[in-house]
Amino acid sequence: MRRSLLSETDIATAIDLSPMIDCIFILLIFFIVTTVFVEEPGLEVSRPDATIDRDLEKNSIIVAISADNKIVYGGRELGVAGVGARVRQLLTKEDLPVIIEADASSDHGVFSNVWSEVKNAGAKKISLSTLKD
Amino acid sequence: MAKQSILGEEEERTEIDLSPMIDCIFILLIFFIVTTVFVEEKGLQVHKPDAAASAALDVDESITLEITASNAVMFEGEEISAVDITNRVRATVGDEDIPVIIRAHEKTHHGTFVSVWDAAARGGAKSLSFSTIN
Repeated sequence: MRRSLLSETDIATAIDLSPMIDCIFILLIFFIVTTVFVEEPGLEVSRPDATIDRDLEKNSIIVAISADNKIVYGGRELGVAGVGARVRQLLTKEDLPVIIEADASSDHGVFSNVWSEVKNAGAKKISLSTLKD
Repeated sequence: MAKQSILGEEEERTEIDLSPMIDCIFILLIFFIVTTVFVEEKGLQVHKPDAAASAALDVDESITLEITASNAVMFEGEEISAVDITNRVRATVGDEDIPVIIRAHEKTHHGTFVSVWDAAARGGAKSLSFSTIN
């Protein structure tokens, strides 16, 4: 910053940016740490209610089953066999738990088939999603 | 900003311009804020009896709850309610590790299955598992 030679009394008005940068860094680190890239099914599911449910891991593979028995992963409809292949592919990269998000009025048979497929694909922890209260 | 020395007028100011860095950090910050999803999932971990375990399973020493296609829960040949499931399971299981098996028809609603599982778990069943019939 060049100071004018004539006006020696004029005060350089500059904002000290360091505290702001500090704050932004802290925010940035917070968001980097908390971000998990979970692929959401993109489907409205009315989950069944349960009293003994627990919090599940945030970073999981979420497979949804709609009320009309469609199996959805990441916004795309997959068949029963497709789910197995997809989950197997995802598990080769990272060993993640699997959450099956089935609608309360979907058929149990579909849930059972998806469970078996996911188990055969090598998932170690399979949970079903319930209503949060 | 440091005070400029009155003596050294020729002295060159070495200062890093921080603005581009701040711009970058802002963009990163906005990206992470936008992509962050605070997913909170609640649920139950469910099991099926595996082949090895079911072979060793003593049939007399287990409780089988059956769910029919019309969402009725049967226990020892009679229909029971969710509260009764909890009570019957608690009475039979006690502190022991007696397996409880839920045999659901494939046309059963998933909601019914979850409520039966929940009721049995509340009754203190430690080794719960499910199988599907058609």
